[in-house]
Amino acid sequence: MSRTFQSLAIPATAGIGLRSRHIGEMLTRRPSAGWLEVHAENYMGEGAGVEALERLRQIYPLSVHGVGLSLGSAQGVDRSHLERLRKVCERFQPDLVSEHLAWSVADGAYLNDLLPLRYDEKALAVVARNVETVQDVLKRQVLIENLSAYLAFADSSMNEAEFLAELVARTGCGLLLDVNNVHVSAHNLQYDAKTFIDALPAEAIGEIHLAGHATNQVGADTVLIDDHGSRVPPVVWSLYHHAISRLGPRPTLIEWDTDVPVLDVLLGEAMWADMLSASIMFNRKQTARRAAVTKPRAVPTVLSFENGGSGMPVLAAFAAVRAGRIVPLPHDRQGGYHAAA
Amino acid sequence: MLPLELLQTMMARSVLAKEPFVSANLLTAGKADPLARLRIYRNNTRSSLTAVLIAVFPVTVRLVDERFFRFVASEFIRRYPPVESRLARYGAGFPRFLKSIDTLSDMPVVAETARLEWAIAEALDAASLPPRTLAEYDNTDLGMSPDILLQPSLRLIISHWSVMSVWKAHQKATLAEQFGGWMRRPERVALWRSGESVRLILLDRSNFAFLHALKHGFGLEQAISRAVALDPMFDLVSALVRLFGDGLVTDVRVSAHPFPI
Repeated sequence: MSRTFQSLAIPATAGIGLRSRHIGEMLTRRPSAGWLEVHAENYMGEGAGVEALERLRQIYPLSVHGVGLSLGSAQGVDRSHLERLRKVCERFQPDLVSEHLAWSVADGAYLNDLLPLRYDEKALAVVARNVETVQDVLKRQVLIENLSAYLAFADSSMNEAEFLAELVARTGCGLLLDVNNVHVSAHNLQYDAKTFIDALPAEAIGEIHLAGHATNQVGADTVLIDDHGSRVPPVVWSLYHHAISRLGPRPTLIEWDTDVPVLDVLLGEAMWADMLSASIMFNRKQTARRAAVTKPRAVPTVLSFENGGSGMPVLAAFAAVRAGRIVPLPHDRQGGYHAAA
Repeated sequence: MLPLELLQTMMARSVLAKEPFVSANLLTAGKADPLARLRIYRNNTRSSLTAVLIAVFPVTVRLVDERFFRFVASEFIRRYPPVESRLARYGAGFPRFLKSIDTLSDMPVVAETARLEWAIAEALDAASLPPRTLAEYDNTDLGMSPDILLQPSLRLIISHWSVMSVWKAHQKATLAEQFGGWMRRPERVALWRSGESVRLILLDRSNFAFLHALKHGFGLEQAISRAVALDPMFDLVSALVRLFGDGLVTDVRVSAHPFPI
C-alpha cells in the first residue's frame, strides 16, 4: 500500500545521486542537498534500501532515473519492467523521471550496458513508440538522456542530437542533458561537443548530469570511458558552463558510481555546480545591465584550463566567469525555470 | 540494410561473445577500429555482471579463489546472461551452474555455499513486515488450527554439507584461517532479513519441518504433526515462543483451510 508524500519540486540547483553506502549518513545527518536521484532498478524489491528511501523522500525532492527500460529495443519495451517502474513511481512519487536513448535488451538478454542506436527514421519510429508507451503508462512526461558511446553505425542518416530533437517533437518528452556523455561521445566519435548541445531544443532540457570519466589508451586510440568514477573534470565543467550560459539554471545531478567517495565529496561537487551556475547568472545580469547603457557585443565563450594548476577543476570555470566571457542570452531564455515544467 | 531487430540481435551476440558477430563495416568509430571499440561493450558487460556475482557470492569467491571465480562467472554470463534489468534477480542459476563444473566436482560445498548465499540475497531483497507478539492473541479465538504467517524473507535451506559453518567462518578473516574445513554433515538453516542484514540459525529436523510447513501455509496442525512424526518429543511451546521472539510471526488468523490438506 503506497503512502502519500508531500509534493517536493526539484529546484533548478544541484542534487546528488543516492548511493547505498551514503544512505545511513543521509538519514542521520540530513545534509543540505538540493535533491536526490536514484536508479529505479535498485528500488524494485522490498529490501532495507526501499524503506530508507521512503524516509529520505519525506525530506528531499526525488528524481527516478531508469537504466533498464531499453527504449531503443526494436522488440518494444518489456511490459513487466514498465509495470515495475510504474510501481516505483507510484510508491515514491518523484518529481522527475528519466531514461536513456539506448538499448540494452536483445536476443532475450539484458546486457547491463547502454548501447547506441542506428539513428534513422525506422529507429526513430521505434523509440517514439516506446517513449509514448512509457509516458502513457506512467501518465507523465519522461526525460530522455543522451548517450555516452564508443562506436556508431555507418548507416545512420542523422546524428544523435537531430534524433533527440525529433523525438521531442514527436512525443513531447523532455531531455536529460548528460554533459559528461556529450564530451565522452564527442571525443570518441570525433564531433564537436558544443555544437551537439546547441542543436538540442533548449526548452525541453529538464535536467543535467555531471560526472567524471576515465581515459584509456588502446594502442594509438585514446578512448574515454564513461565510468562515473572521479570528480567532474575541467573539460566537463567547461561544457557545463557552455550549457548553463545557453539554457539558464537547470536541476543538475552529480553522478558517481565507481569507487564512490565519502558523501562530502559528492556534496562538494554539487556545491561547485551551484556556485558556477549562480556565478554565470550573476554575470549575465551584469552584462544585461551594461547592455542597457552600451551597445551589446557578443563575445564567444572560450574557457582555457591550460594554466589551471589548481586541485579544483571548477575554479578555472569561475575564472572565466569573472573575466566576463559570457554570451548574453536572448530575452526569451532569461526567465525562471521549473523542473516539472 | 539490416532490420533494426536483427542488427541488435547481432550486436548483443557480439557483446556476449557468441557468434555470429556483427560485421565491422556496419560500424564506425572515428579513426579507431570499430571492433576494438565493440570490445569495450563486451568488457563492460562482463565486468559489471561479474561484479554483481562477486557481491552476491562473497564466501563462494573466497572458497575458490577470485581468479577462478571470475573465470567461471565469465562463462556463466556468456551462457546465461540476465533476462531482465533487475540485477537483484541475477544469479539464481549460478549455484546450479557451479555444480556442473567438473573441476569443482570434489568440492560440492562450493555450490552448496553459493546456494546459501543466493538465499541470503533473496532475503535481503524481501519485505520485513512488523512482527506480532504472543500477547496480542491472548483473548482471541483462533480455532483449533490457525494459520501462522511468517516473514516473507524467511528462507529454509537444507544441505548435506556444513554450509552454515563454512559461511560463518568466512564472516571474519581470523575465523576463516582457524576454520577446520567443510565436512559432510547435514545442516538445516533458517535465515531471514533483520534490518539491513540477515539472521541465520541452525535447526534440528523437527523444527525445520515445523517451519517448512508453516511457511508453505499448511497451518499449525499440519506443522505440528510433521514435526512430531520426526521427533515425538517435539516441544511446541518452545518452538512458538522462539518464532514470536525472533520476530518471525507477522499474523495469526483463523485457518482458511480448516481441514488438513
